[in-house]
Amino acid sequence: MDLENQNRVKDLAEKHGAENVVVIFGAAEAESAGLSAETVTNGDPTFAGPLAGVQLGLAVYHAVEPEFKEAVDSDVYEEQVSMMEMVLDVDEIIEEMTSIRNDFSKY
Amino acid sequence: MSKYKVVHYINQFFAGIGGEEKANIPPEMRDGVVGPGMALAAAFEDDMEIVATIICGDSYYAENMENAEATILEMVKSKSPDMFIAGPAFNAGRYGTACGAICKAVKDNLGIPVLTGMYVENPGADIFKKDLFIVETKNSAADMRKAIPKMAALAIKMAKGEELGSPSEENYIERGVRRNIFREKRGAERAVEMLVAKVNNKPFVTEYPMPVFDHVAPAAALKDLKKAKIAVVTSGGIVPKGNPDHIESSSASKYGKYDLTGFDYLTDETHETAHGGYDPCYANSNPNRVLPVDVLRDLEKEGVIGELHKYFYTTVGNCTSVGNAVKFSKEYAQELLADGVDGVIMTST
Repeated sequence: MDLENQNRVKDLAEKHGAENVVVIFGAAEAESAGLSAETVTNGDPTFAGPLAGVQLGLAVYHAVEPEFKEAVDSDVYEEQVSMMEMVLDVDEIIEEMTSIRNDFSKY
Repeated sequence: MSKYKVVHYINQFFAGIGGEEKANIPPEMRDGVVGPGMALAAAFEDDMEIVATIICGDSYYAENMENAEATILEMVKSKSPDMFIAGPAFNAGRYGTACGAICKAVKDNLGIPVLTGMYVENPGADIFKKDLFIVETKNSAADMRKAIPKMAALAIKMAKGEELGSPSEENYIERGVRRNIFREKRGAERAVEMLVAKVNNKPFVTEYPMPVFDHVAPAAALKDLKKAKIAVVTSGGIVPKGNPDHIESSSASKYGKYDLTGFDYLTDETHETAHGGYDPCYANSNPNRVLPVDVLRDLEKEGVIGELHKYFYTTVGNCTSVGNAVKFSKEYAQELLADGVDGVIMTST
């Protein structure tokens, strides 16, 4: 996750309280989604950005996960996400996101 | 026991200062850990402590090597550490080269153990693997989590002056060092076991890895040879008589660029070979055998090729390192491109 986005997430978490922020990811691969999710939960794993050593523990979901799918308007989901849902390896993404949530999410 | 003191070197990116737009910042030193030093410090536990972090922009280092190196050496010296660690640089070329160069400078000047980490294809790895212990990492910072424990483990051993195991045991890039060891079984037995494993598609580990050479993808075919400007380049050592630039007969450290204007062919009065790796009699008596200027002029007259490029480039391939050869070709390939050469005939011996 680039330095600016790390800063944005950090600022938002400070402004609204970490317990009130959920981060939704759209990365196409489980590994990159996992890295971004780790950044906003356990801290920047590359130790290069503002979130290095900062454990925000935010709630994290990927846009193709059922939790997100059920929470949004199904017509909009159909239009915006369903195409990618067919292309991506959804099971692998769910597995990766679940492990990040179990290990690092506090909310 | 007191902790070993470590000074850590990182670039502007890992210090969180910025990317390419901040790559020109001069060296600065901060007390304690910055960026990846946090992870290193956690992995060191009670054995070692990062007392200071030196940060330098990658471009600044590359453009001011001598100054930057001197400044950084003074900074390191002022902390009188027990060990110096740089990176890891993963596949960042300038960062890797800077990590390698500074580690070498610290090792040579201050005599303390040094360690860095990078991807095996980082140019810094190739340049410094013989001089330094470089922990092998993957090619991106996503590998930080795995790279740090490896670096920390090796660093602790080095600081304590413990004997280090082989590259695969300690996760560093092979330095090309061979060491005599005792084995239970004799060589013939081991060789047969390896062969049996190989024919049975079972895993085995060679005791003598061969160097790996890269593959160069062929360029696209020339569209029209009749209009093409063709250059001739050789590693066969053909030079003007007397070898004016003293190209070495073996392990060449340079190449020559010579004018072919006015030569319809080469003779033993105008040219000779500097090559020391083959019997030079035939090349000396007729240098066209190695650098075929005679037939290329014929082809030029017959209109088969557009023209023969005015200059030829030459070196001696005899035991010349791949590193030097790549360096030479990168330089003269740019000149050939700038001169509008369409194709190159490379002759060797």
